[in-house]
Amino acid sequence: MRRCKSLMIFPTLASLALLSACGQNAESDADSRLANVELPGGMTVKEQIEARQAHLKEIGKAFKTISDQLKTDSPDLPQIQAAAALVPKEAQGMADWFPEGTGPESGVKTDALPVIWEDTSDFNAKVVAMQDAAAQLNTVAQGGDVAAIAAAFQATGGKCKDCHDKYRKDD
Amino acid sequence: MSTEPTRILVWDGAVRLVHWLMVILVPLLWWTAEEGHMDWHKSFGLAMFALVLFRLLWGFLGTWTARFGPMIRRIGSLGPYLSKLRRREPASTFGHSPLAALSVFAMLLILAIQVTSGLFSVDVDGLESGPLAALISFETGRQFAEVHEFNFNLLATLIGLHITAIGIYHFLLKEKLVGAMLTGRRSRADFPVAPETKNRPPRSSMLAAALVALACAIALLNFG
Repeated sequence: MRRCKSLMIFPTLASLALLSACGQNAESDADSRLANVELPGGMTVKEQIEARQAHLKEIGKAFKTISDQLKTDSPDLPQIQAAAALVPKEAQGMADWFPEGTGPESGVKTDALPVIWEDTSDFNAKVVAMQDAAAQLNTVAQGGDVAAIAAAFQATGGKCKDCHDKYRKDD
Repeated sequence: MSTEPTRILVWDGAVRLVHWLMVILVPLLWWTAEEGHMDWHKSFGLAMFALVLFRLLWGFLGTWTARFGPMIRRIGSLGPYLSKLRRREPASTFGHSPLAALSVFAMLLILAIQVTSGLFSVDVDGLESGPLAALISFETGRQFAEVHEFNFNLLATLIGLHITAIGIYHFLLKEKLVGAMLTGRRSRADFPVAPETKNRPPRSSMLAAALVALACAIALLNFG
């Protein structure tokens, strides 16, 4: 009797697995449709999301370089300067990276929160504030004063966080 | 006639101090990470690093109940121990039971992974990083951060099991374990088999282990 019961579980599990697989297929079909919608700029939704993630990742890398150097006793200025120059370049046009339809509803993996498209003017203002801070960081970095660089770096990081706290999913 | 003391030392002062400091630090580390107080998180993390390192050293240099060797030998009698528990027979062991020894090794392994991955972690923005993250790339640092995050769930699970086990021992098996972790002592009559050791902490080893742990933590602090 006991054996029968434990054997019964296999068909049950199998059918459940099948059901969930079907569900997933239907879902991902709908997802891929939204992900492949072409945006006015020419990119698909998926391409747009991946492009902005690539830019943001480059900024993250540049920040790590600066942060690593600022932690050492004798920061490598050329490294800091190269990284600081990269940030405003990578952040160029950031407000345009978030056209309607590139939120989580597209089915593409993104931490962008829908509130971006509800509070767009505040979002855009925060983007500009970050870009200004990044430009300032670059200017200060080329000057070569480590203490001033550290302060400008902190300020830029703060502007990143301003946006992330409200518009990015907590990870 | 020598008078045998009725209460004997099970857990030395170092074991207890490390244990209770960890009890305080884990919630603080969790909270500071959740709230983004990364400066505090890093300070507490270094303190945790020193505690884990000390405890690992103490597993080789410490008292009999703190050492790993006797604990590993205990695991050999896991089967008989479990059947004693099932029959609700008195099964108190001097020091870690076979089950507790397993739990200690799991806990220390997970804690070691947690502090090590933390040393190399980088946040998604590249703004915050552990003291050794400068040695590795952004991508690798992110992978350490993923390990750090996932491993915390394992740690929380182990802590949950630990607290549940203490509850089961307390209410079902009528073995009160918390008091001994506070005072270090239990009644000699608790143990069916008399302990073979005085379990006295070797002071010079304690000092050596503490100094090594502290020196490593300070070195990390200065590194980054």
